[in-house]
Amino acid sequence: MRKSNNVREIIAEALNVSPDCITDNLGIGGIPQWDSMGNMAVIAALEEQLDIEFPIEDLFELTSVNAIIEEIEKIS
Amino acid sequence: MIDISHSPILTATFRNAAEMPDKTAVITTDGKEISYSTLQRNILRCANWLYQHGISSGDRIMISAEKDVKFIYLYLAAHLIGAVNVVADAEDNASRLKHLADIAKPAICIGIESADRRSYLYSEINLSDELEADGQIPTYQEGNAERISPDTPADIMFTSGTTGIPKGVVLTHANIAGGARNINSFIGNTAEDVELLCLPVSHSFGLGRLRCSLLAGATIVMHDGFANLKSVFNAFEKFRVSGFGMVPAAWAYIRRFSGDFIARYAPQLKYIEIGSSALPHEEKQLLCELFPTTRICMHYGLTEASRAAFMELHEDKEHLDSVGKSVNGKVDIRILGKDGREATRGEMGEICIKGDIVTPGYLDSAQNKEAFVGDYFRSGDVGYIDEVGYLYLTDRIKEIINVGGKKVSPIEIEEEVRKISGAESVCIAAPDPDGILGEVPCLFILKDSLRMDLEELKVGLMKRLENYKLPRFFKIVDSLPLSSNGKKKRRADINLN
Repeated sequence: MRKSNNVREIIAEALNVSPDCITDNLGIGGIPQWDSMGNMAVIAALEEQLDIEFPIEDLFELTSVNAIIEEIEKIS
Repeated sequence: MIDISHSPILTATFRNAAEMPDKTAVITTDGKEISYSTLQRNILRCANWLYQHGISSGDRIMISAEKDVKFIYLYLAAHLIGAVNVVADAEDNASRLKHLADIAKPAICIGIESADRRSYLYSEINLSDELEADGQIPTYQEGNAERISPDTPADIMFTSGTTGIPKGVVLTHANIAGGARNINSFIGNTAEDVELLCLPVSHSFGLGRLRCSLLAGATIVMHDGFANLKSVFNAFEKFRVSGFGMVPAAWAYIRRFSGDFIARYAPQLKYIEIGSSALPHEEKQLLCELFPTTRICMHYGLTEASRAAFMELHEDKEHLDSVGKSVNGKVDIRILGKDGREATRGEMGEICIKGDIVTPGYLDSAQNKEAFVGDYFRSGDVGYIDEVGYLYLTDRIKEIINVGGKKVSPIEIEEEVRKISGAESVCIAAPDPDGILGEVPCLFILKDSLRMDLEELKVGLMKRLENYKLPRFFKIVDSLPLSSNGKKKRRADINLN
């Protein structure tokens, strides 16, 4: 739970929005800030702050907050 | 009898509706299929709606260009009645939209909330209830048709002027049809094509793709963008997409987020059109390898002269560093020196363009003074034409930053910095460190002039500028990059470390 909250906070910070906006079901395009540039910022921030590297074959599957949390659990 | 002879795009669309009424013209973002006959019917309904709201030929309609099918209906309905679309970007903030409206003085705003102008949101325009039923003779054209010709304005597109003042580019019906014909002929678009439109329709490239598809009688699938690549690939499969357009920044994003995955769609992709900014040589080669049988067409042009030169990466593999060449007799590209003399082959000068695609001028005629040399539009790009006619870009005269295909005026950013903080600054184009956007704004701020915390300035800029205009780098410096005569050096090579 703490980890997923941390993920939501990192996503919020990368997108320059309030953490309240980052619900589990939020997906790319769900808010204007989460466009392609925003998505790049999200992935870069998660990789840097969590010291992980998403496999490239999985990257385009990360289309929602839920999917990102599941992927982080899988690769951690 | 409806006279639409002034608009080749509408003429083709209505011909498609007559010849293949059930053919799908548009697939909306929620998957709804709109046939050519429905498209025609709704264009007529919207023309009547505009007419009923007092709009007639010559009036300006400021319209938010969105991936909403009502945008397509109303955009073409405006053309039908001879009104002029002032194409607005839904991404623009309220103050910019107000500023653009003050310049363009539209009779009505659509898809835009406006406190001081008559405005309607798309949701407030109900086609089924308010408008005429099928088959009724439209009333919009009474007394109007004779005033409209292919050379009357169809659209006004705003670009970032170098001074930070937006420039309204007037495009005639002949201009927009000329661009569409040129590209369709080069790509080989036909009615069999199904195109995925991820590009924004508020920009010249994306709106141009829509027109190309309608002209060819093809099907266009509206899509939200490239951000969610999984949904892009799903759409490729679901709609059997045969082509799409992208800017180099989108290609970099596709590569970053999906590697070579897209290549599995190569057999079904007949064409890809690329434009708006430069694509590195090695990326062109990679595209050729990944899409061996796809026509990969690049265009060079500006909003003022869309699709001036073309190249197809396979056919022109010996000239990949060029931006192609003029491919038909309707567009002439010349390199002109400062004295207006035409450069010889291989000699550098300003790229100037003449032809049916070239704007007759800007909305503010004062901006035309420096924009043309005779009949030739001055692109602001420096380049040369080689011995076999290929055009090469080498530099830019205009101080504009090209952020992934979106043009940003450094002066606009410097002005906002001054308004917020009083600081003197110089904004220059820096290479995008992520290798996606090509260029990004980098701001040098004079240390002694900054009267607030840098973070406070950043927050202020976020409130006043669109996301893509925000400087990526901030450098507090003891002295600004100035030339020997004190002019700001906005094209300086910089060290970001």
